[in-house]
Amino acid sequence: MTLRVELLPLLLALALASFTCRAGGFWLMRFVTVTPRLRAMLAAAPLAVMLGIVTPAALRGGLPEIAGLAVTFAAMRLWRSDLVAMFCGVAAVALCRGLLPQ
Amino acid sequence: MAREAGLSPLEATLMSTLVYSGTAQAATVGGFATGAGILAAVVTVLMLNARYLLYGASLRPWLSQTSPAQAYATLWFLGDANWAMSTKAHAGGEHDAAFIFGSGVSMYLPWVAGTALGATAGDWIADPRTLGVDFLLVAFCFAMAIDLFKSRTDVAPAAAAVVVAGLLDRLAPSGWTLVAAGFAGGFTAWLRYDDAKGKAA
Repeated sequence: MTLRVELLPLLLALALASFTCRAGGFWLMRFVTVTPRLRAMLAAAPLAVMLGIVTPAALRGGLPEIAGLAVTFAAMRLWRSDLVAMFCGVAAVALCRGLLPQ
Repeated sequence: MAREAGLSPLEATLMSTLVYSGTAQAATVGGFATGAGILAAVVTVLMLNARYLLYGASLRPWLSQTSPAQAYATLWFLGDANWAMSTKAHAGGEHDAAFIFGSGVSMYLPWVAGTALGATAGDWIADPRTLGVDFLLVAFCFAMAIDLFKSRTDVAPAAAAVVVAGLLDRLAPSGWTLVAAGFAGGFTAWLRYDDAKGKAA
């Protein structure tokens, strides 16, 4: 069990950012009206950020990573559970890496 | 996942306790792995959790019946699932604000405990790469992206995010790639929103 002191400012900054979002909307409603256009923008951000993580990995990845994404997609369609899909994708990557010469 | 980025079990658990957001933690942990700075991480969290602005805003009429201290304590435990549950319960006639608090805490505790367990188990894995552990984060984010993809209105923001992320990754790979992708997606949705129809074009 280690806790690096230099990591604490980062964690606290993230905690503050997270709580600001949770409490901020409640607080801001005293002053602002959320337009439907703004609502559409806020709603689109999480999907875009997730794709911002996946895209570089897909571009840099070889056959195992592409296969892993394909299996993740298929598993997600089949079972609609992100955890199940994640493990299927990881298993596919591990299998490909084991079978293919690196 | 946190173990993969070099966080100790204690650090990972502390992160779950403090930040409490699956997407935000996955993204910032991904950022640590690629050496992103503190500012990029904070902007990422702000963007990913921007939806909580909406959740909190929508709970205002209900939660403002309680004292401010109670309201903000409840908001600390606010999550996707308990917001959805609470909104449904409210529509069904539930008016006790303690419902939001209770459902929030009942999501929060398993999340923290699950992180502690997962991060400790991570120590037992010998060679992460052979087992594909480095792919956990990517697969999880991809699965969540599929889950978040609800309708045709999501196509344009998603495409914008992929293009921006792909270009930036070639030019200047860093934790900012996902921040830029998030803004590209959000801005696209904002631009394409059709006021006349009351929905995104």
